[in-house]
Amino acid sequence: MRKMLAVFACLALVALGGAAQGAIKLGANWPLADVSGLECQKAAQLAVDELNKAGGVLGRQLQLVVVDDEGKADKGVAAIEKLVTVDKADVLIGGIASGVALAQIPTLKKYGIVTVATGAAASATVEKALGPSPDSDFYFHLHPWDYNQGQSYADGWAAIQLKYPGLRVKKIFLAYEEGAFGKSSFDASKTIFGSKYDFDGASFKSALSGGSDYSGVLQAAKDFKPDLFLWAGYAQDALPLLEQSKALKFSPPVYLGAPPAWPVDFGKSPLAENVMLYGMWAPSINAISPVSRKFYDSYVKAYGGPPTSYFAALAYSAVNIVAEGIKRAGGLDKAKLIAALEATKYSSPLGETISFSPSNVIKHQGIRNQKILQWQNGSQEVIWPFEVQSKPLVFPFPAWK
Amino acid sequence: MSLRRSAMLAAAGGALAAAAILVWKPTVLVYGVQRAGLYAAVAIPMALVLGIVHIVNLAHGELLMVAAYLTYFGATLLGVDPYVALAPTAVVMAALGLAIYNLAIKHTLKAPELNQLILTFGLGIALSQGVNLVFSSQSFKLSLGYVSASATIGDTSFGVYDFAFVAAAFAIGYGLRLFLTRTRFGKAALAVGQNPRGAAIVGIDVNRTYGIVFALAVALVGAVGSMFLTKQAIFPDVGGPYTMKSFCLVAMAGVGNITGIIYCSLVLGVAEAAINGLRGLRGWSDIVFFAIIVATILARSRAESRR
Repeated sequence: MRKMLAVFACLALVALGGAAQGAIKLGANWPLADVSGLECQKAAQLAVDELNKAGGVLGRQLQLVVVDDEGKADKGVAAIEKLVTVDKADVLIGGIASGVALAQIPTLKKYGIVTVATGAAASATVEKALGPSPDSDFYFHLHPWDYNQGQSYADGWAAIQLKYPGLRVKKIFLAYEEGAFGKSSFDASKTIFGSKYDFDGASFKSALSGGSDYSGVLQAAKDFKPDLFLWAGYAQDALPLLEQSKALKFSPPVYLGAPPAWPVDFGKSPLAENVMLYGMWAPSINAISPVSRKFYDSYVKAYGGPPTSYFAALAYSAVNIVAEGIKRAGGLDKAKLIAALEATKYSSPLGETISFSPSNVIKHQGIRNQKILQWQNGSQEVIWPFEVQSKPLVFPFPAWK
Repeated sequence: MSLRRSAMLAAAGGALAAAAILVWKPTVLVYGVQRAGLYAAVAIPMALVLGIVHIVNLAHGELLMVAAYLTYFGATLLGVDPYVALAPTAVVMAALGLAIYNLAIKHTLKAPELNQLILTFGLGIALSQGVNLVFSSQSFKLSLGYVSASATIGDTSFGVYDFAFVAAAFAIGYGLRLFLTRTRFGKAALAVGQNPRGAAIVGIDVNRTYGIVFALAVALVGAVGSMFLTKQAIFPDVGGPYTMKSFCLVAMAGVGNITGIIYCSLVLGVAEAAINGLRGLRGWSDIVFFAIIVATILARSRAESRR
């Protein structure tokens, strides 16, 4: 009997030992048919490969399991169910669209697995659904909320005007695509800028929805004579908007675009010169951030070209933040991992150190600032924050020749 | 009311509306006509297929997209303008059209219409998803200086490049008309479209005619796809809305009525541009588009039932 018990004990030890040596599973969901989602997957895998090459985390390898959420709410919920129940993910990361994140929240709350989210900016829906601490303490939100973004734009433009006295912004016009993204951008911008600036806006049908004629909205903008013209649409609108602006001879002092990603080769177009943009990461940050340089070089080496949107840098950061958290926690115990992630101070490729602190609703908000950039000679150069500025601002936007 | 009187009244109404728009916002008329050119140029090849092969090609917009991708990579790799790549693209698209006809369409010609719709709908999905798999959802756009060509009258500047689509629509429309009425093959195609069994009895190869007409339509939509690339960013789903708009225009104009498509495009294009010119109502352009189509189809049905 004693021998049998000893054998069982040995077997149990072996089994436990085997489990301890198993990979730590990071479950992720992104829309893989979307270029931003695909780049997230690649960047996250890059981070996992780098960590595994360096010996893994606590002696265990990391394994990334990605499920395509197709940018759809139902698929996003199914992705979480699969990652948790079938793949047995230890930690969840990922996401881009607010609509998908919103649908996932009840399922995420049901399982309560520690989650580091790379997307979702809609505070009125996603943040509200998450609710306050302690119910949402498992959720670490990297991407800024819409009000964080709006506030950082307001701060940025105020700072830019102080540094460049020749630039005076009194009138702002926002051309926004007529879908949910554009409408929420307009509402948030009106709240932030409406009280300080003469603010107006009009909608247009994005090329993504079959639109092709921006003449109506551009004529309205031209009639308004804005100091700052901002458009909130998609990559597909970027060049046609500029081409039609040129046709209408509309050249405001500041021409600014805020799509989630820019089209391939946009920078090569002569029309792109001195167009301004919002973003969190650009290759120009390589000049001031060794982490960004390392991320960029590794990505280009692995995949043959640079990422086109900042979401890749966010996904790369998410994996590294989780890995550092697990190391500090000494394992995967949920309470210890949450406490360890709360102590995060991750020097990210975004050119800033990411830490978590309470937002308006949730306890764990990561990044709060967007950056103001400008296309110069085919590259996105950081203009603000000035501490990470890569090139001086060129203004006003040149008149069309 | 006689048909001629109705047509005269419609023409007078149209002229009055155009005059009113000219007084209100001349650019609305300009942009409306330009939109109409694009819509008509895309829709006419669909009308050709529907009128002769009797197939509603729900992959029409996706074929436009495929042609635009072909042109993009051809123009980029060879360093040529999309207009230079237009003819080779049309030839490649004709071959693709012939292959699609022989491999798929031909086998459903005698099947219920629903099967044909499902087939072309599936083909459209396969094309857009195939492009998505190969090139991802990343959009591509060529930066071409001539696209921003403009004219200035008084204080008003407006783009003039899109008149190229108006020229294309007329070229395709009247070219097809000449082809169908003046050439031996065109006359045979018309005969097949009107009565395939009768055409077969008099010795016309119906299957061959269908194949060539389908390939011709795909070649034409391919040529428009090359032009489309000059104006718009392309991505896998870019063609979908044009399938819907083309189908609506064909339904509005009546099966196979190529001239009617040009007129209907004009009405819809100007109506959309007018809505776009009204602040606060821009989101209504699709509603107005479809409302006009529904009203036209209802009016035509009533007129036909009275006859």
